[in-house]
Amino acid sequence: MIPLENFLVLSAILFALGFYGVLARRSAILILIAVELMLAAVSINMVAFAAYLDPTRFTGIIFAIFVITVAAAEVGLALGIVLRLFRERASANVDEANSLKW
Amino acid sequence: MSDLNFDYTLLIPELILAVAAGIVLLADAFHTELRLNRTLLPGFTVLAALAAGLTSLAWLDTSDDFATLLAVDNFTAFFRVLFAFTLATVVIGSYEFVAREIRHQGEFYAMFLLATLGASVMAASQELLTAYIGLELLSFSLYVAVSLAKRDPRSGEAGLKYVLLGGVASATLLYGLSLIYGSAGSTSYAAISETFAAGTANVELPLLLGLVLVIAGLGFKISAVPFHMWTPDAYEGAPLPVTAILSATSKAGAIALLLRLFSGPLLPVKDDWQWMLAVISLTTMVAGNLIALQQTNIKRLLAYSSIGQVGYMLLAVATISDASASALLLHLGGYTVTNLAVFMAVIAFYNRQRSERIADFRGLAETNPYLALVITAALFSLSGMPLLAGFTTKFILFQAAAQDGYLWLVAIAVVMSTISLYYYLLVIRLMYVQEPDGAPAPDPQTGRLDRPNLRWRTSPASYAVTAVLLLGTIAIGLYATPLLEAADDAAAVLFPA
Repeated sequence: MIPLENFLVLSAILFALGFYGVLARRSAILILIAVELMLAAVSINMVAFAAYLDPTRFTGIIFAIFVITVAAAEVGLALGIVLRLFRERASANVDEANSLKW
Repeated sequence: MSDLNFDYTLLIPELILAVAAGIVLLADAFHTELRLNRTLLPGFTVLAALAAGLTSLAWLDTSDDFATLLAVDNFTAFFRVLFAFTLATVVIGSYEFVAREIRHQGEFYAMFLLATLGASVMAASQELLTAYIGLELLSFSLYVAVSLAKRDPRSGEAGLKYVLLGGVASATLLYGLSLIYGSAGSTSYAAISETFAAGTANVELPLLLGLVLVIAGLGFKISAVPFHMWTPDAYEGAPLPVTAILSATSKAGAIALLLRLFSGPLLPVKDDWQWMLAVISLTTMVAGNLIALQQTNIKRLLAYSSIGQVGYMLLAVATISDASASALLLHLGGYTVTNLAVFMAVIAFYNRQRSERIADFRGLAETNPYLALVITAALFSLSGMPLLAGFTTKFILFQAAAQDGYLWLVAIAVVMSTISLYYYLLVIRLMYVQEPDGAPAPDPQTGRLDRPNLRWRTSPASYAVTAVLLLGTIAIGLYATPLLEAADDAAAVLFPA
């Protein structure tokens, strides 16, 4: 059996990659993809914990299903807002959304 | 299989909000087919809010925990009433604003109803997943509401920043929750509390990491420094009523969740998180109040002032106990009333002057003395002047926190309150000392003042709402006992004797 640590390390790497993507990418779409990576890391964590620590109940797995569903809703919503901004400025670059500061 | 025979009548307030949100959305979408007058929408929303608030009072002192998913108890009731009051006030005070500035009114009011529903679920949560769903319902509704002012390009930008940073914060929070779930083996508050009380020796590291991530994620939602970057932008770009909801419902909901989490499942590991919250409380009140000093837009000023207020509230969470939880609830009640008074007055001002610049408040005491009075009283209350709500609630809050050994932090909080008085006074000075725009200088020969009549009236709805809030601010300041008793009853649920 694969030890639990492997799953946790995988999810930690995914989470860190996602966070790096959020900081490094300038396109709103790519930032959204990076957020999805972070949420995938959460799902892996949840499912792994559920399988190893709490095998009789499915709390962690149900949690992962909810995370996936909510993430889909979030992307739909965020894309709507990006689209609105794109219509106004013909750009999805977050550096150009700079009329509000301090 | 667990028993599903719960007392579903206890959920009536939430059901009212959910059904009302659906009705408002559909009524707006099909208003031509149904021959509906769209001006009825705000009235209907207010009715739903009042119904939800009143029905939650009907079952005080009864409780059910719905198989440890949700708890309907006095704590939940306190927040349900607070949220319903906020929603009703904001809708009444801003329907003229919405009719003029927002094209899709039905969606706008539906988002308000859903945000209120999400916040109620957060306050009632007894389990991590429920808490998360409530939090996301609140946040998603607000993402949409922030970006609904289609004529204002700032609104889209604010929405984008809010939704992207909000997504990162949710993911961070969730990762933290997953680590806590891994350390405790359950998502139910009661079970987590039991596991941690029995000892955490073998899960020290994941637990600590989980706590850091949870505090970062929730810190974003309540806009604690250094996770506050979205707050001023979202506040400025959002339509004014949404800013009011952001500063009242969204904050109170997150504080309710913090209280539930840190007084229940995480209380056994208090030593691990207490210093984190104390540090965040310190940075929040210092940074919020200092950056507020140099703002020129009233919404941004109120954004930073609300960040400062969050610092005081976190102080009470860091020193959590029976007394400080009740003091925090009292302060939250007083803060909500006072803050709404400012926002409703600013909306009335905006309806007439079409400006959010602080400089344009010049001479308001001359042109509309009533509004100037409301803003003055509310700002004084926010800074903690005696006889007003802010003083009483802050006094009790600081006293409760000081008793728990964080005297140095309380001392800094008092200094920061004094600093906040400075930037509030700048606004008040503009309103009272300076002449309004368009006022002619006195005649050089006779010295007589011959000025056109610059007076203008507030609309009846704004007048009524601001009057109620002004009276509330004064009433809580002079006689806080009823609110204090309600707060005590609510806090007693968190710390059963």
